[in-house]
Amino acid sequence: MPVLALQVEGVTKSFGRVRALDGVDLEVRAGENFGLVGPNGSGKTTLLRLLAGVLRPGGGTLRVFGMKLPSVAARQLTGYMTQTAALYEDLSVRENVSFFWRLYASGRGRSLRAKVDEVLELVRLTDRASSPVRTLSGGMRQRANLACALVHGPRLLLLDEPTVGVDPELRLSLWEHFHRMNATGTTLVVSTHVMDEARRCGRIGLISAGRLIADGTAEELIAGAGAADLEAAFLHYARKSRGEGGEAA
Amino acid sequence: MKIERILAIASRIVRQFLRDRRTVAFLILVPSFVMGLLGYLVNQERATYEVALVNADAGVTLPSGAVVCLGDVVAGALGGESGLHVVAMTPGEAQDALAAGSIAAVFTLPGGLTRDVVTGAGASIGLRLEGAQAAVIQAVSMSAAAALRRCPQLLQDALAALPGAPSRAVPVKPPLQLDVSYLHGGADLGPLDYMASAFIAGFVFFFVFLLTCVSFLRERSSGTIERLAASPVSRGEVVLGYLGGFTVFAIIEALIILLFAIYVLGAVFVGSVWLVLLVELLLTLGAVSLGILLSFFARNELQVIQFVPLVIIPQFLLGGLVWPVETLARPLQWIAAVMPLTYAAGAMHDVMIKGAGIGDIAGNLVFLLGFAVVVAALAAAVLRREVA
Repeated sequence: MPVLALQVEGVTKSFGRVRALDGVDLEVRAGENFGLVGPNGSGKTTLLRLLAGVLRPGGGTLRVFGMKLPSVAARQLTGYMTQTAALYEDLSVRENVSFFWRLYASGRGRSLRAKVDEVLELVRLTDRASSPVRTLSGGMRQRANLACALVHGPRLLLLDEPTVGVDPELRLSLWEHFHRMNATGTTLVVSTHVMDEARRCGRIGLISAGRLIADGTAEELIAGAGAADLEAAFLHYARKSRGEGGEAA
Repeated sequence: MKIERILAIASRIVRQFLRDRRTVAFLILVPSFVMGLLGYLVNQERATYEVALVNADAGVTLPSGAVVCLGDVVAGALGGESGLHVVAMTPGEAQDALAAGSIAAVFTLPGGLTRDVVTGAGASIGLRLEGAQAAVIQAVSMSAAAALRRCPQLLQDALAALPGAPSRAVPVKPPLQLDVSYLHGGADLGPLDYMASAFIAGFVFFFVFLLTCVSFLRERSSGTIERLAASPVSRGEVVLGYLGGFTVFAIIEALIILLFAIYVLGAVFVGSVWLVLLVELLLTLGAVSLGILLSFFARNELQVIQFVPLVIIPQFLLGGLVWPVETLARPLQWIAAVMPLTYAAGAMHDVMIKGAGIGDIAGNLVFLLGFAVVVAALAAAVLRREVA
């Protein structure tokens, strides 16, 4: 039986009267590159925040590598890249990355420096390591944001719309990072509302109105819906989940 | 210039303000609250101070055989002052009570009072003031002066009423004099000396509270709190980390204000610097915790500023920085009793002016520590509710 990176069972979450997640079941195997695809407000970010341990579910259970959340050990294995760059503006890139590393690992001096250098190299920010974050461009911020999420070498990386507002060149290079990390065994869960991006993931879960409405590879989803592309397939499954019948576009 | 564009901007501002209900409520309620508090404070009845009277006057026996003791007349005049509550004591009792701070002053009537008055030599009445509070010194001195102004007439009446008194009343001259001395401080202490200690505490609290509140708010608005919550860091560690970081700056701040007050402004300082820093440290822990806690109830920097008239100004008004806490109306004293600045300012005052030791201010230190622990625990609990 394959090792499961994620097990989500019957998870619900409400904010006041708004039901953000309405009974989500999901399993992601270790080493998978999983795309969470849905429109804005469908519950993608809420699910990622629950998996990151930032929120607690209203109902249901979540497990990360078999550990039931909330779990400090699970947090130790998880990296979370927020949608908008969550960084300390007055600190340099290096100081930001070092700070987040120190929250996960004990060790300073040379080992810290080497690790931070390695991550900055990976996101190509070595030449801006000493620049305060507030002086960086949007794309650089996003890379610094990623560096903070992966500096502790997580086995599960949660990426919340990592390429929103990023130019095509940087998007390509970010996806190269993601694929490289995935190739070395890191499980990826990437949320996006751009269907084209979703195709870069090995398996895709379609989420709509707080429910997971279908999952499979892009090809399986398209074929299952009898649709021409992923977008049409999404609309098919969304209508079907609302009980409106499943005419493919 | 186009009036339409100006109107567009003006109406947008009005609309934005109306949308922020907290700010609207703030504009309406807070000025009334602060002005009401201030009005209540300024208009409150003059406080009554407990003072001791050591009446050593031996009196004199007149040729007619009548014994006259004018000390009783002076005692009566003092007792008639509404600002004083006079309690008769022996010299030893009075000294102990003054040292313990349970009375504001001791009046001592000398043994030869009657003799000196009758012989026209004039007499001095001893007034020894506790001396640590400018407002108390002023109030007691004013009451004493008023009583003494009435004394010559009262003494004259008393002498005239004696059997066999000359038909023409003996004028009492020169009038009685006050011989003023101080247990702490003294006449050379100005308002600055009395207020510096309390204001050092007040400013440190103010700056540290505001800085923490805004910093923590930024932690939330920038999303970094989300990152912290996703890491193995516990809520307690976050709060303690904040306490550690801000304490460094608060202690530096306290030192700067203290050194400036002593060396540039020339404020009196007779106590231990270490003790002052200990008070500041404990006060800082409370201010940082309160800053974190209240930052959860603010959406932006403007709303943080709104905490100033609610959290800071009442502490400045009631915490003994301007008016001694004992002189406040009873309900205001209850409020003052739960405010950290009351204890910090009181302890700083006692250390700087009276040279109090750690034992003397232990109660204040315990309260400050307790306040910090309780508020830090609350902040950690609210943090838990906010994230995960």
